Amino acid sequence: MPGRGRCPDCGSTELVEDSHYSQSQLVCSDCGCVVTEGVLTTTFSDEGNLREVTYSRSTGENEQVSRSQQRGLRRVRDLCRVLQLPPTFEDTAVAYYQQAYRHAGIRAARLQKKEVLVGCCVLITCRQHNWPLTMGAICTLLYADLDVFSSTYMQIVKLLGLDVPSLSLAELVKTYCSSFKLFQASPSVPAKYVEDKEKMLSRTLQLVELASETWLVTGRHPLPVITAATFLAWQSLQPAYRLSCSLARFCKLANVDLPYPASSRLQELLAVLLRMAEHLAWLRVLRLDKRSVVKHIGDLLQHRHSLVRSAFRDGAAEVETLEKEPPGQGQGQGEGEVGNNSLGLLQGKRPASPALLLPPCMLKPPKRTCPAPPVSTVTGDEDISDSEIEQYLRTPQEVRDFQRAQAARQAAPSVANPP
Amino acid sequence: MASAPRPERAPRLLAPCLTRYPPPPSPTTVGFLSMEEEETYLELYLNQCAAQDGLAPPRSPLFSPVVPYDMYMLNASNPETAFNLNPEVKETSGGFSPVDLSFLPDELTQEDKDQPVIGSKHETKENSESQSQQSRLPSSSEQDIGLGLNSPSLSNPHSQRHPSDTDLVQASPEKPDSNSLPLASITPMSPVTSVSECCGIVPQLQNIVSTVNLACKLDLKKIALHAKNAEYNPKVRFLISLLLTKLECNGAISQSRLAARKYARVVQKLGFPARFLDFKIQNMVGSCDVKFPIRLEGLVLTHQQFSSYEPELFPGLIYRMVKPRIVLLIFVSGKVVLTGAKERSEICEAFENIYPILKSFKKA
Repeated sequence: MPGRGRCPDCGSTELVEDSHYSQSQLVCSDCGCVVTEGVLTTTFSDEGNLREVTYSRSTGENEQVSRSQQRGLRRVRDLCRVLQLPPTFEDTAVAYYQQAYRHAGIRAARLQKKEVLVGCCVLITCRQHNWPLTMGAICTLLYADLDVFSSTYMQIVKLLGLDVPSLSLAELVKTYCSSFKLFQASPSVPAKYVEDKEKMLSRTLQLVELASETWLVTGRHPLPVITAATFLAWQSLQPAYRLSCSLARFCKLANVDLPYPASSRLQELLAVLLRMAEHLAWLRVLRLDKRSVVKHIGDLLQHRHSLVRSAFRDGAAEVETLEKEPPGQGQGQGEGEVGNNSLGLLQGKRPASPALLLPPCMLKPPKRTCPAPPVSTVTGDEDISDSEIEQYLRTPQEVRDFQRAQAARQAAPSVANPP
Repeated sequence: MASAPRPERAPRLLAPCLTRYPPPPSPTTVGFLSMEEEETYLELYLNQCAAQDGLAPPRSPLFSPVVPYDMYMLNASNPETAFNLNPEVKETSGGFSPVDLSFLPDELTQEDKDQPVIGSKHETKENSESQSQQSRLPSSSEQDIGLGLNSPSLSNPHSQRHPSDTDLVQASPEKPDSNSLPLASITPMSPVTSVSECCGIVPQLQNIVSTVNLACKLDLKKIALHAKNAEYNPKVRFLISLLLTKLECNGAISQSRLAARKYARVVQKLGFPARFLDFKIQNMVGSCDVKFPIRLEGLVLTHQQFSSYEPELFPGLIYRMVKPRIVLLIFVSGKVVLTGAKERSEICEAFENIYPILKSFKKA
């Protein structure tokens, strides 16, 4: 850290404050040499590196700050260092923490919340600098619950009135893909599975863009989509050897956790690619399925813009026209029309009529129809008959039964109920 | 994912400058109530109501908006200390029926005939309230134009030009003609009907949370014993009772009131001197479907001050509308949930405000 002095052994400036039991020490992170140790005895060289100054020379800055706030600020700095963030982030995050601490509600919050607040400040700082840090990552580092994190995060954003940009998908792809251990051969990674990083990155990026355009990203957690895209990109770069590898195995040998939704994202992405393949002349004749389409992902991505336009009609407009016409008739007409209009320039077999470009949740049929509720003519002032009220009361016999049952339950020791 | 470069966002260090309130009124609102005046007028009115009711402010944590209809809580402690025993009942039926007059409270019809003075004072209050509501309407339509509903001009959410937030909101009053919004055509004197003019989609009410003061001490154990469908949890000291009236859309508010009256009758039958005071709707939840998919990422870019979209936490976008003060949950499938309303008209108004915005994000 600049301004903190150098390590006497190796001369590096990377000095970190670490504590050995209850004694705070200044340690060089390169060679491990202990630069200063506590304040009980100091030598001349120690004084040069001393962080804690004598009272007469202190500015008294820390006196005004409460212990828990100091602890929190230290945690913020530690978290920034663990994540290896640029130095400017640390100051911003610390400033946010201090700003949050000015509010009484935060000062009085539990320690768990203050701990999570540390993560929130770091996350906001990263978001504002387009640094792709996911909430899941922070929760893992802080051993925090995502629910606690989410409530604190929403509260602090509202409290401080902050403008937090969305997670940058492109940056997240780059960092996440780089974390896959596939770029060098190792005992767990066979030679045929090793891939060039740049090629994989660019292809994954294109697949993620395609997913985003076809409604697979909106409203969903971003990470599983990227996992699925990375897997497809990797497979498609050498399909002959890699088609046999499953998604789970892929994540295992790349040393990355497999998020649960990734397999369904994978299926959705494959379905999109299959639809696009039906509109490429030389692929249409091949009658591809979910496995064989992987071999042609390169081609599909190359022409993805025009393919998406031709393979998918505007789902929104389609839904509107279907609404206005009577359902049964409208479906047949819509399909027939589009089939006739599509792509006269493609000769040979007519491609399938374009599919609706809609988010998957709108493509699935509704589980149960919601009938329009009948218009009720209740005024709220109607008479309430006695008999109606009687039905809500227990008869004396029922009361006696109930009391007996309750007494019996309390008498018998409750074995079955967990504490 | 947009291939357009993201704007570099300067980190806002110590600048809590972004509030969620609209900018100062544009010159076009001269002649109507200005926004600040409206706000203070509204605040005054609410304060008066709160003072009269003696109730906690409407945002009290007791009444969370997501309580299902058939479980509502009564304050079991002695209500005489908590609530004001003023025998007035206000039902906020809003613009629900075409004839928006105050009605006589239950107390007057049943027992106390000697309180007509207070009753009439109430009527005038209701009338002035409805008048102030109506006088607010034209300014609301003006103000809405100023609230950044310049979406028709921002048809492509992924455009290269990313105007800053202040530009967004201030640019709109200068081009009111580009807004072919039907909002401006709301006539001030007609009550807010339940059919919105722009789309024919009507938000359906799903849930209503209301409270009523029974003004007597209740023995919860006795009620739990004698009433069916009642549960008493001694630790929490709340009695949960399930009344079997189902909630349906247009009758929702009166259904709620009917259910409350049934509850009071049940308690009366058990021998307690229950009365029916201060029936008040605390929260209403409505939902509807615009039937087209919505680009939430684009919406959060253009309406940053009002929206909060965190796909890692929740699949929907949370839109906090300032006027009316409603929170909307917008999902990618086009379904919209509106909550936080005290009156049905607020829900309709909020939906009418959001529909043009959503339409502009229809095209992929």
